[in-house]
This record gives sequence, C-alpha cells and structure tokens, in this order.
Amino acid sequence: MSTPQLLFKNRRPGETVFIDGYKATGGYQGLEMALKDSSPEEIREQVKESGLRGRGGAGFPTGFKWNFFPSGAPGPKYLVCNCDEMEPGTYKDGVLLAADPHQLVEGMILSAFALQTDVGYIFIRYAYEQQADYLRKAIAEAKAAGYIGKNILGSGFDFELHVHGSAGRYILGEETALLNGLEGIRPNPRLKPPFPATRGLFGRPTTVNNVETIANIPHIITGGALWFRDLALTPGSSGTKLYGLSGHFNVTECFELPVGIPLREIVENYGGGIRGGRKFKACLPGGASTPYLTAEHMDVALDFDSLEKVDSRYGTAGVTAFDDQTCMVAATFNLINFFARESCGWCSPCRDGLVMVRWLLETIDNGQGTPEHLEMLKDQLKNIAGNSFCALAEGAMGPLAGLLNHFEQEIVDHIETGKCPFRK
Amino acid sequence: MAQEEKIDQIGLLEEEELAAFIDHACELEHPREMVIDVLRAIQKNHGWVPDEGVELTATILGITPIEVEEVATFYDKIFRRQVGRFPIHICDSICCWSNGGEELAEQFQKTLGITFGETTKDGLFTLLPSCCLGVCGQAPAVMIHQKLYGPLQLDDVDELINRLRREASA
Amino acid sequence: MPTLTIDNQQVTVTDGSTVLDAAEQLGIIIPHFCYHKALGPVGSCRMCAVTVHEGTFKGLKMSCLVKAEEGMVVTTDDQQSVEFRARVGEWLMLNHPHDCPVCDEGGECQLQEMTIASGHGIRRYGGKKRTHNNQQLGSFVAQEMNRCIQCYRCVRTYKDYCGGSDFGVMGSRNRVFFGRYKEGPLESDFSGNIIDACPTGVFTDKTYRFKSRYWDLQEAPSVCPHCSLGCATIPGGRYGELQRVRSGVNEKVNGFFICDRGRFGSSYVNHPDRRRQVRSDGQPLTVGDGLSKLDAQARELIEEHGPEAVLLLGSNRASLETNWLLQRWAAELGCRAPLLSAHLQRHQAAQVAAFDLSDRLASLEKVRQSDLVVLFGVDPLAEAPMLAVALRQAARNGALIMVYDPRPIELPCEVDHQPTSPAQLLAMLVSDCEPEIVRIREMLSEAEMPVLVAGGDLLGAEGLLRVKQLAVEQSNEKRPCLIHPILGGPNSFGSAVLSLPEQDDLLTRLESGRTKMLICVETDPLLEAPEGERFGTALSHVDNLVVFDYLPTPLSVHANLFIPSTAPAESAGSFINNEGRQQLFAPVTNPRLPIAETGAGNHPPREFLSTAPGSDPQPAWQLLQQLLGDMGDLETVRQQMATAVPRLVDFTNLQPGGVCCRVTDADERSLYAGDLPEQPEGSLQLVVTPARYGSDLPSRFSAKLTPRFAPAVLQMNPKDAAALKLAAGSKVSLDTEVGSFNLILNCNKDVAAGCALVENGAAFPHLVPGGLPSFCQVSAGVRDD
Ligand SMILES: Cc1cc2nc3c(=O)[nH]c(=O)nc-3n(C[C@H](O)[C@H](O)[C@H](O)COP(=O)(O)O)c2cc1C
Ligand code: SF4
Ligand code: SF4
Ligand code: SF4
Ligand code: FES
Ligand code: FES
Repeated sequence: MSTPQLLFKNRRPGETVFIDGYKATGGYQGLEMALKDSSPEEIREQVKESGLRGRGGAGFPTGFKWNFFPSGAPGPKYLVCNCDEMEPGTYKDGVLLAADPHQLVEGMILSAFALQTDVGYIFIRYAYEQQADYLRKAIAEAKAAGYIGKNILGSGFDFELHVHGSAGRYILGEETALLNGLEGIRPNPRLKPPFPATRGLFGRPTTVNNVETIANIPHIITGGALWFRDLALTPGSSGTKLYGLSGHFNVTECFELPVGIPLREIVENYGGGIRGGRKFKACLPGGASTPYLTAEHMDVALDFDSLEKVDSRYGTAGVTAFDDQTCMVAATFNLINFFARESCGWCSPCRDGLVMVRWLLETIDNGQGTPEHLEMLKDQLKNIAGNSFCALAEGAMGPLAGLLNHFEQEIVDHIETGKCPFRK
Repeated sequence: MAQEEKIDQIGLLEEEELAAFIDHACELEHPREMVIDVLRAIQKNHGWVPDEGVELTATILGITPIEVEEVATFYDKIFRRQVGRFPIHICDSICCWSNGGEELAEQFQKTLGITFGETTKDGLFTLLPSCCLGVCGQAPAVMIHQKLYGPLQLDDVDELINRLRREASA
Repeated sequence: MPTLTIDNQQVTVTDGSTVLDAAEQLGIIIPHFCYHKALGPVGSCRMCAVTVHEGTFKGLKMSCLVKAEEGMVVTTDDQQSVEFRARVGEWLMLNHPHDCPVCDEGGECQLQEMTIASGHGIRRYGGKKRTHNNQQLGSFVAQEMNRCIQCYRCVRTYKDYCGGSDFGVMGSRNRVFFGRYKEGPLESDFSGNIIDACPTGVFTDKTYRFKSRYWDLQEAPSVCPHCSLGCATIPGGRYGELQRVRSGVNEKVNGFFICDRGRFGSSYVNHPDRRRQVRSDGQPLTVGDGLSKLDAQARELIEEHGPEAVLLLGSNRASLETNWLLQRWAAELGCRAPLLSAHLQRHQAAQVAAFDLSDRLASLEKVRQSDLVVLFGVDPLAEAPMLAVALRQAARNGALIMVYDPRPIELPCEVDHQPTSPAQLLAMLVSDCEPEIVRIREMLSEAEMPVLVAGGDLLGAEGLLRVKQLAVEQSNEKRPCLIHPILGGPNSFGSAVLSLPEQDDLLTRLESGRTKMLICVETDPLLEAPEGERFGTALSHVDNLVVFDYLPTPLSVHANLFIPSTAPAESAGSFINNEGRQQLFAPVTNPRLPIAETGAGNHPPREFLSTAPGSDPQPAWQLLQQLLGDMGDLETVRQQMATAVPRLVDFTNLQPGGVCCRVTDADERSLYAGDLPEQPEGSLQLVVTPARYGSDLPSRFSAKLTPRFAPAVLQMNPKDAAALKLAAGSKVSLDTEVGSFNLILNCNKDVAAGCALVENGAAFPHLVPGGLPSFCQVSAGVRDD
C-alpha cells in the first residue's frame, strides 16, 4: 500500500491498540511537543495552514472554524467530538476507534489546548458501545500518564474528557441537536445564530468536530502543515481520508487513502470490482445524503471541490456501490425512508415533506405511479431542498436529486410499464 | 439509604448504581445531562423503561417525569414498552438493504413467527427495524444488546436464535 | 430604523423588526404558524417564506427569522414564495383529518385560514395518515391530537412562557405528541392559554364544546373582573349565555394570555340561581315600579330621619360609572356620600395606591421588563395570577425575583422567597438594620429597572406607604423605583379615585342604628367585608335592605327590594386596574335567560313573548340614571364624570380592547399612617389569603371552576405546630376575633413562623383577606359552637 497511513498506522485486523502500542509508534509525541513548544495560536495557525476540512460531512475548514472560537473568553468552554456516525454507509469513525482509540484521545487534548477549552465530551452513538468502552479505557490510561487532568505535562493547561453515550437517532449527529442531546433535553437542532462558538453547550462557547477531523490534529502537529497538504492528490485538497466501502463491492472495508483519489481506483483496486461479476451502476460517494455518481463519473477525483462540480458531495467518503441489477427507485425509496424516519419532527419540509416524497417513491416503485407523480417528485425536490430548518432534509434530497438527474428514465419505465423493471 | 430505597420502589437500579447516580447528580452543575445514562442503566437491568423508571430518573435528576419522557420517547433505542429479553434490531438501511437485508428480515420473522414490533410468546425475542448500525461493511447486520452481528447469511439465523435460546435457559 | 421595500411598497420599521413585522405594518399578512408575538420566532413551520432580492441573505427566506435591513427588497407574492407556501400548506395537511364539520375550532381556525392563504386546495397525498390517541386533560381543555400541525405553540405557551411543568412534547418525526406524561387534569393555573395559542382544533375549550360556531358567537373586548390586574379578555356568548372567555391583548397589562380564573370563571353570568327580576318582599315588579318605589322610600326616610337614614354602598365590582352615579344620586337625595367599599381596609389601601403611589406606578409590562422585582406581601397565584407569568418573563430575561411573604409562595420561575410574617414585613420596611432590608436596599441600588410589588391586603394602607418610602429612597435621576400595587378587586382603584378623603366605616354606621335603609350596589358585605357576621347582626337595625346585583349572593336573598343588574360582560362600563389604567369594556350579550335553560335541555318552549325571558337586568349605571331622572346615555355620563373628576382620562380617547391610559397623578393623601395593633402574648398572626379559585365572588359563583376549588385547611409552620403539640392532618380549632372555626391542619415549612394561614374561598368564606392585622389561637380538637 503506497498511501502513508496516519490514522490507520496501528490498525491490525481484530485488534485494538492501547497506550503502549500507541506510544510505540510515536503516539503522544505531538502532544508533548506542542505543550512544550507551541502556543495555542500557533497550533490553530498550523491547522489552518494544513487546509484540513471537517470530516463529518460538511467539509468546513477546521482552522477557519477554530479561529472563530473565543478561546480567550473567560469561563467554561467546551470541545465536543461528534461520534454519532449514523448516516447509512458511514462507519469509518467506528473502525478508527475500534483500532486505535488513543488517536482520538490525543487529538482531543491537543485540540482542547489549541482552543483553550477545559472540558471535552466525546458523544458516541448507541451501537458503538464497544468503541465507547475502548475510549473509556484509553482516557483512563491517558489520565494515568498525565495527559489528562490538571496542569498537563507541567504546561499549566487543565483538561477533563468525558464519554457520553447516545440512544440512537441520526439527528444527534447534527451539531446543535447533539448539544441539546448532551444537555439532556430534546435533541431538535437549534436556531442559528447564535452559533455554538458563541452559545453552545450549556450556553457556553463550544466547538464540535468529527472524530476523524480531531484524530488528524496530532499528525498535523508532528508532520507539519505542508506535509499534510501534500498527502492529497488534488490541488486545494489536503490529507488522507478514511473511505468506508459498502454495498455491492467485492471488498467492503475501510481504507485510508488520499483525498482526491479517483472513483475508478476505489471501485477497481480497493473495492475489487462489483460482486458477482456485475457492472458498476452507481454509488453514493459519501454517505446516504450525497447524490449518486454513475459509471460516467469513474474518473472524477473524490474530494470536496471535484464532487461539487458534478453536483454531488464528498460527504463522509463512505462509498456505497450499486450493481446494474439495482432498482434506483427502490434504492432511493430506502434512503428516503431512512431520512423520513429519522426526522426530528421540528420542521414541516422534513417531518411531512419527506413522508410525501416517500409515498411518491413507494407509489412509483409499486408500479402505480403516473406522470403526475413524477412531476410531484420534482416539485417536492425543488421545494424541500434548501428550505428545511437543518441539513437533514437537505441531505435527504441528495439521493432524490441524483435519482432525478441520472435515472429519470428508470422512473418513467416504472410508470409506463406499471411495474418495477428490476423485480423478478 | 432508607430514603433511596423508597425512590426506587421496584429495584430498577442496583443499590450502588443508584447511589452513584445520586452522588453524581449532586456534583454536576446540570444533572440533566445524565438522563440518557440513567435511562440506559435502567434498561440494561430491566430490559425496558417502565413508568417507574421514568419517574425514578426524574427523581434522581430533580426534574419532572414529563421532562424525562420528552427525551425518552425521542430516542428509538430507549424502550418505553416491554420488549423481549433479546430485542433484535435488524438494519434496514441502504447497505444492508443492498446486501439482502430484506430477505434476512423475512427469515427472522419466519423463524420466530412474529413480525416487526412483536415479541415471541416466550418473551424472549422482539423484532425491531433499525436504521444503519454502523457496520455497513459487514452487511446485512443486526444488533442485540449493543452487540453487532454481520454479515449474516440466511442460514445463520437459526443458529443465532438457538444460541440465544440456550443462553436464556442457562 | 431601516426602510425596506416589500411588494413594491416602502416601509420604515423599528430596529430589530422582522420582515414579517414589517409586512404586517403594510397590511400584508404573511401566512405563519409557529411565530407568535409573545412566543417569538422559532422557524419550524416554514410557512412564512418570502423571497429576499436585496439583503444580506438572498433567496427564499423565513420572514419571521429575517431582520429587516436598510434597502432590503422583498416580495411575498412571487412565484417561488407562493409555490413554496402552498407546499407547506400541503405538508401540514398531510395528516389532517377531514374534521372541520365537527371541529370546535371551525371558523376561527388559523389552519383553515392559512391553508386557504397558502393556496393549497386539493389533496394529492394518498398515503396513510398518522393517528394518535387523545388524553383526558381535565375539565378545561379538550384534546384532539389528530388535528395537530406540529407548530409547537402549545408547549411553548404552556411550558416556556407560562412555566407549567406537566405538559410537553413526546415522540419525534411525524409522530410528535403534545400532552401530559400521563392522562390527568392539566395542573397549571394558565392551562387554558393553549386553547388560544393552538392554531388548530387540537386544544379547544372543553367548557364551550359544541356550544356555538364562531360566526354565531357574539364577542366584544372586555376586562377581566376576577382580580385587580384587569387583563384584557374577549368573552363570547350567544342566546343570553356567556359561553366562554378568551384572552384579549393588552401589551401594557396581560400581554397575550390570561389565567384560568379569568378564562373559566365566567359562568357566574349564567348561574341558575341568578335573579333576573325585580322583587319587592318576594313580589315581582317591573324595573320601573321597583325604581319608583325605591326612590320614594329613600326620599321619605331622609325626610323623616335625616341624611343618615339612607346609606348607599358602592363596590370594587361596580363600574366607575356606577360608583360615580351613586355619588350623584346621594347628593341628589340629600343623604350622606356613599361608601364605595364595604371593606374599609382594602379601600384605604386602594386609596394609597390611587393617590400616594400615583406618580410611581408600574404596569405589568414594566414588571416583565424589570431586572429586579421585590414582592412584599403578595402571593401572585392567589391575588393576581398573571403577575406570576409576568414575573416569569422577567426571570427568563435574567431578573431576580425576591418575595417577602408569610405564605408558601409557588411561582413558575426561580424565586428567592423568605417566609416573613405580616408584622415582620411591616417592621422590616422601616428598619435600618434588619439584614434582609439592608440586602434589598443594596440590590435595589444596583438594579436598572427595579419594581416593588406591594400587596394591599397584607400590607394595608400603612404598609403601602412604607413601600413607597423605600421606592422614593431608591429612585434616582437615572431611573425611578416603581411600585406595582395589588388591590382587592377589579375596580378597587376606581372606587378609590372617586372616594372622598374622609371615610367612615360601614359597620359603625349601621351599628349606630341611624341607618334605616341600606342600598348595596353590586356587593355583599356578608362575603366581601372582613366581619361578615357582625355585618349580619348589624343588618337587624336596618328596616329596608336594597340590593342591586348580578350574582345570586346571600344578601340578595335577604333583600327587601332586589334589583337585578348586569354582569360586566352584559354591559358597557369601565374599571381602573391596580396600576391606575382606566379601561373600558363593551357588552357581549344581552341579559336574558339562556335558551339552553329555558328549554331545560329540550327544545326551547314555543311561547311568543315581546321580550326575551329574563331580560330585565339593566346595567347599574343605567338604573341609577333612571333614579336620577337623567336621560343621558353612557357617553354623556362619562363626559360628566370626566369633567367632575379631572384625574380621569377623557373617555373619547379610550376604547374597549385598547391599551388604554393611566389616570393622572394626584396629591398624596397620607391619611392612614396610624398605630398598628399589638400582638397579644401567645397568639399567632392570622393570615387570610384568597384561594386561587373561588375567592372573588364572580369566580365563586362560576360552576366551571369548581374542579379547582380547594378544601379548607389551616396552614402553619411545622415548628409552630410542634410547639403547640398539634399534628399535621389533625382537626384543630382556630379562634379569631370574629369567631372560631374547625379546620384540618396542614404543616408547611414555607409558612412564616408565628403565622396561621387560611384561604378564603367557597370552602371557607368566613374570613376575608385584607383586614387589619389580627391575631388568633390554634388549639387541638374540635370546638362545638
Ligand atoms: C443530520 C446530520 C447528521 C450529521 N451527522 C454527523 C455525524 O454523525 N458525525 C459528524 O461528525 N458530523 C455529522 N454531521 C455534521 C455536523 O453537524 C457537524 O458539521 C460536524 O460534526 C462538524 O465537524 P467537522 O467540521 O469536524 O466535520 C451531521 C449533520 C447533519 C445535518
Ligand atoms: S430538517 Fe427539520 S425536521 Fe428534519 S431533522 Fe432538521 S430540524 Fe428536524
Ligand atoms: S397541538 Fe396545536 S399548538 Fe400544539 S403543536 Fe399541535 S397544532 Fe400546534
Ligand atoms: S390575572 Fe386577574 S385579571 Fe388577569 S385573567 Fe387572571 S383573574 Fe383576570
Ligand atoms: S446500512 Fe446496515 S449497518 Fe449501515
Ligand atoms: S412562522 Fe416563520 S417559520 Fe413558522
């Protein structure tokens, strides 16, 4: 494997590395260096230089976000790690934590230092109880080693880190809903502004970042911003990325590969082609909320900007492949069903609009659709997209947009033949 | 302790657990942040969260039952109705769906003789549809008590069920 | 003050206004659901979408969330906005049942209006609808959850705004449910507000179920008659029956909501025992005959026995017009000036508020905006419920609420309550060194907008003057320290404004034996004066008792001559509320026997009469005009009154349902700085407080409220009970200056030490709040009378 392995460097099948193994490959060196030699501003500057973009799906430049943070404000401030990871097709954070939990722990301490937050929370989904246990153990180890607690490594910096388990619901991944969840109130997203950086957890300045985003920080500190930028294959991108493969690939594993890798390489080299010798028809390039790519996109580079150019999104880089026997109406129905069921119930376009879309897709999939239903589908897409309270319904429109962009003929076939062309 | 026994009338939490929650609630500035922890602990011991569990949580955290209920009913992994000893969450999201998730779900229904939302007569199994379980590379997958199983072949279902039955009678 | 263009019209709005507000200013009503003026915007329904062409954020935007900007260009009627709002209409109707024909909300349903406004007209969704089971929420509010459109207004009203703790939102996605944890009566004293707040027929007034269609209902703006705050209400009635009350809007007073006492306390108007005919010693008379008889008798008595022979008694339930005309009639008759209250101490406290405090009165709006509110001798839920909600708004904005009161104060917000006995209260107010008053002074001096809330019942005239002293001392050039006094009734302030400084006491007058005829106008001293029993005895000196009332009071049964008057909802009139706001009310229904009653549940009888049965009651002011032989209408009366009493606001500047105005300041009266009685050795201080429901007479006669009537108990601090060897729950005897009563003892550590607390209400009418400080003994066991 030619890609340098940062996040997965300690990963062995079926094993979990704890503090000894982690330190053996250079773990906590970044933290020690930084606490000794760097100021919080310098770290924030380095992260900005590195071009790191959030790995939680939205791809917001991390350094930029951190520079908005009122790190000098008096009183409690929080750093929250988002390990909700409930978007179908996305499982990279789970793999990372199962292999090497200290990656995140060190990243949290470093990030907290950079942001001058005194308390950190790792918000982790219900299904990742195993990973939560590993994290608890890793945190205890880090505490014992003096990396967490009061006056860390003599730097005068104090930091406490807690693991907070969830109880299932995709919306908790949305950062403001997550904060409500942490506070123990109903996890509907919050109205923005104010943004979490001003009024976040318990009304205090808060930064929320993805697991993988934070796990990258120690590597940026030890390797340097320029080195990190150069890891990516496309200009303007930086770093490596965890690609979780799923669906109809022959190999459905998670790989650490450069940002900007072309889709073809994923499909042919890492995914090992499509199962049963079938043909690649389409994929979700970055989780359930990203518009489909098709065979014509084989040479598109997988990075934030390139995918935006083809009306899709990099998302979480969880690539779900579909073979040529897949009914894309049914696949989209499945995806919309997920979003409709996971709606938090706050705003009308999502709570009710997605139910409408689900019914339309179901009707068409059942062979009972009419041309009016197709028109209604387009009309729902137009009116839901961009108009919901949070990005959940927006995300739901990803696959619907992909369906209408690339597979409208398939819908027409359903309508014209009165049945699903793929169903035997 | 006498007072604490009173607040947990039907023994939903271990004594030490309860004491620890109460202590922790006293320490925290916002005890409410523990609501999911307490509900999950009750569910772990009792299998689900009965009304008494909601009320106990409210008492521990110093909030009202409705404030607990507002949260408890939001999450789908908190059960406010009785479930079997082994609630089986069958993933029906896209990766599992594309890898035979529907057939797997049918197999479970056939084997157990129940449909989604039902519990077997012996009180052992409840079938529940679930969104993505975070093991999309091992599709199709199911989760039982926070343990993940996947990829599951149709033939694996009988064996899994039998193993759980044996576990239950042991 | 940005100027923006909406649909090609320019409008200038205040800073911080939203585009939705700005459009409204132009008369463009953008459809909306989740936005509510009192609750603010939350952006959940998405109905209020408009297109912003020029502005910081362009495109389709929610007008309730976007702040108006200078130079902004917005359209509400462009295709994009119109189409989107139609989709929102469609989404919200997805699950809605076809209920309109049987839904009580029909006709006043925002969902009906907004769905039409949104342009959604034809159902296209053919999938399953979500359905819910309903909860029984008690006798006030009916729930039909299937009609819900998830605007979250109910929970934001009940919980966030009013501070109720037994209502919430459960579940998620398209299955959210708004209700209680478990079925059962809603506990909040403001529960009925969800009826007004809910834009659909989910929450409707159970007491009004299936009574009227909105378009058949007669409504008019009114003023709540149940406490001194004078909240804006809109009663509705039909066919002689007052069927419901909903909240009016007065941003200076209640804002947008009212309390349950105000909302459900209206059925006194239809009380089955209400007397609707003039009766003279049991014989029915026409109104004209009754009045002639009264006039002749009164004149005869005065002629024979002098000006003391006839005593006129006004009240704080009677309108300003009635009380004033009573004064005119007395002058005309040549008898002594009427007493405008049977309750001397309450009346004196009201006069302090109306005169001595008149230059530093705070409205309820000021209370909501305050950053420090100190309450002296006030239990808001008992005496002025909407004050509690106002305090909550202050607290939500960070204000500190401090309460010094002997009662166990419950408030829907954080409160620093120091149980303080009445004697301690009066003493601390004039102390230099008492630690609490030192602390209060310190905090007041730092507050930016302090308000002192002073309870007239507990503090009396003397106490109010002491609070004034504190306010004067705490005012500076930068800001005044204002006072929000709480008084005994809806027009306490009004009758105080009219009253003459020299006052004697009803009982003294009666017991002197010189009064031959007593004319009580809309008051029953048996129930509304502190020594009801003594009054009853004193009545034996009176040969002729005349009662004007709309309530079936005990006194009206004793009356030699009874003349039916109208309830506030049946007449025009005015009250002056506790902070001096002169407010008008308009008639809602005509007085008559409700059709529902004439038919006894069956079809109304087919008798053909030229007048409606039971339509004799007339407004008391109108009856007095007839006695005066004056043909002037209400406008004329008001004009004359405003001229005679220059403090009053010119009535032509006021209208029912408006914000109205405060009467002008007056010179101090400082009449009552007197000695307070000494506490006898070994006694307890007696605290009589209004029950939350059924203390004011209109609510006592309102059947709808009976589920909230509380049983009579005596409350004491457990330490006092222990010292007297009294067990909680046991029967005790309460010995007071006016009699002994057997009660059940409740111990409550939030009752101030040294106090015995009883609630005046339906279950215990014997002691009335607001007397002179008085003392009592409590002992074990039951005493035979
Ligand atoms: C419905 C929804 C679900 C989300 N789920 C996740 C998630 O599981 N993990 C995550 O890191 N971010 C998730 N996000 C994005 C977060 O809101 C937030 O942008 C992210 O945590 C920021 O971290 P990053 O900048 O490091 O990516 C989700 C967003 C939405 C709207
Ligand atoms: S889009 Fe609206 S309903 Fe959907 S999750 Fe976000 S806030 Fe909730
Ligand atoms: S019950 Fe009424 S107020 Fe409450 S959310 Fe539903 S429609 Fe809105
Ligand atoms: S607070 Fe007083 S005036 Fe206002 S509605 Fe209630 S009883 Fe009526
Ligand atoms: S889709 Fe089934 S585990 Fe992710
Ligand atoms: S009124 Fe603006 S979003 Fe509901």
